Amino acid sequence: MPLRRLLIANRGEIALRIVRAARALGIESVLAASAADRESLAAKEADRTVILGPAKASLSYLNAPLVVHAAKATGCDALHPGYGFLSERAELARLCEDNGIRFVGPTAQSIEQVGGKIAARELAQAAGVPLVQGSGKLNDAEEALRFADSVGYPVVTKASAGGGGRGMVVAHNAAQLKAGFERASVEAQEAFGDGTLFLERFVQTARHVEVQVMGDGAGRVLHFGERDCSAQRRYQKMVEEAPGAILPSEIRMRLHESAVRLLSSIRYRNAGTVEFLYDVERREFYFIEVNARIQVEHPVSEMICGVDLVQMQLRVAGGEPLPLQQADIHPRGHAIEVRVIAEDPDRGFAPCPGRITRWQTATGEGVRLDTAMHEGAMVPPYYDSMIAKLIVHGADRVQAVSRLQAALDAFVVEGIATNLPLLRHIAAHTDFVDNRISTRWLEQTLLPGYATAGR
Amino acid sequence: MNKPTPGDVEALMELFEKSDWKELDLRMEGFELFLSKDSAARRAGSVIAKGNSDVGRAVPADPGGHGPPYASAQAAQNAAPREAPPVPSNWLAVRAPNLGTFYRAPKPGAPPYVELGQQVVADTEVCLIEVMKLFTSVRAGVAGVVRKLVVQDGEMVEHDQVLLYIEPQ
Repeated sequence: MPLRRLLIANRGEIALRIVRAARALGIESVLAASAADRESLAAKEADRTVILGPAKASLSYLNAPLVVHAAKATGCDALHPGYGFLSERAELARLCEDNGIRFVGPTAQSIEQVGGKIAARELAQAAGVPLVQGSGKLNDAEEALRFADSVGYPVVTKASAGGGGRGMVVAHNAAQLKAGFERASVEAQEAFGDGTLFLERFVQTARHVEVQVMGDGAGRVLHFGERDCSAQRRYQKMVEEAPGAILPSEIRMRLHESAVRLLSSIRYRNAGTVEFLYDVERREFYFIEVNARIQVEHPVSEMICGVDLVQMQLRVAGGEPLPLQQADIHPRGHAIEVRVIAEDPDRGFAPCPGRITRWQTATGEGVRLDTAMHEGAMVPPYYDSMIAKLIVHGADRVQAVSRLQAALDAFVVEGIATNLPLLRHIAAHTDFVDNRISTRWLEQTLLPGYATAGR
Repeated sequence: MNKPTPGDVEALMELFEKSDWKELDLRMEGFELFLSKDSAARRAGSVIAKGNSDVGRAVPADPGGHGPPYASAQAAQNAAPREAPPVPSNWLAVRAPNLGTFYRAPKPGAPPYVELGQQVVADTEVCLIEVMKLFTSVRAGVAGVVRKLVVQDGEMVEHDQVLLYIEPQ
């Protein structure tokens, strides 16, 4: 049965994106917002807005029972969690299942199967997906040292319960590992409430590549090509592109097959991403993790494949079959997304909330802007400070880069500091233009040069 | 010109309350607001202009042309939580801490926590807010007399919505 009324438990550009996708499909939208987002663009465009609680996310966007109560009380038959916040909490999916609300996401069981990194590794192993050499759960630094001795340094600690760089420490020798283990465990405990760590061999020159998929919940999984998100700072992506232009075509094919095989094995439903590390020197890829939600960077895959992934999520949640076959999906051209963030690269990337006094955005062929901001809008201090995603599409990477440069030059934001100057610097850098970067390029090459560029 | 947002109305009310003005009568296209510090004072009509119940929603126009029956019905509902009915300025509002279902009584059939005219102290429980079977009691917060009940038993309320008014003593 198609969805009739959808609760959107999120904010910012993705909330607006979902409101519009719902409207395009004739689905009514109810936005569940915090008091800080009462006047947001998503609130204005939604058919109805209800205020969950105060600005603090733990009292509004992060309270699963509150969000499901809002869905029931407003007569919604489905709930879209967006990304971040509650989107990958099995608790939310389960509450929806128990209360007759269709969750626009995977089943609670799937979220549990892919959510914990150790569980996900076991799943990948069973599906024959390559893994970087790694340990199981480690009880203490002694166990970590023994594992590191067996695979060789460098190694990296990872938190079992989550990602985003928390709990990750790279160690090049035993002394560093010994010193870093406790620190990583405390960090993981603070970030995820679980200090459990495991260890992996650390790949020196790596690309972050990931495959966009969509599953129907009955065992059919389509892929929409891969993305390269190697430009990262502190494991936060800053630039994302599709396709991963450096991948040899034989490897690209195996990458797609691996992602589809992994998620088919659990009859995955909804949009999802399988993340891999690509070892440029060895020409091998290794499974990292599954993101069981729509991702921030989904637009680049939409641009090259000519699909609307959010609408497709809503159709699948409504019980419709996947609207196309793998053979119908032909990636075309090249797309790049940059995350425009209200933070000041010149002051240690300090968040810069405030009122936007001027907002002049790029337009033109192959340019798309996903944002909920506008002149006069307030960037509240309580949440993630991403204010827009600028996406460009071109016939090839060269054209896409040139459109990105032009679009960034035309983008004017006043009233708050943003990372636009840094994004322009990236887009003009020869390493980026020539596509010669790795996951550590931004931090090790670009940022030091940016700081001394004497701007 | 856009209609004033709920935030604008709140700001106006606050300014008015702090000022030494006795009355404020604001009329704009599609919007009227009458504030008075004399509880007996009344202007014809209510605070919100007739036939314009979506004023609290801060939506300049229907941007997508979605189904009118639902959209308009919901617009009216949207307005409800933010419309402050005219009450004497010394009455204090008890507001919902979060979204939930409002209950006047501890269980179905039981007498309500408070009735109109009832004397309360700051600690008196005045109602329950339920979220997925989890009940949280709301207290008066001030000693006084219950003067107005705003929400019907079993209705959904939003964060910060006025539940009832107490005249402090």
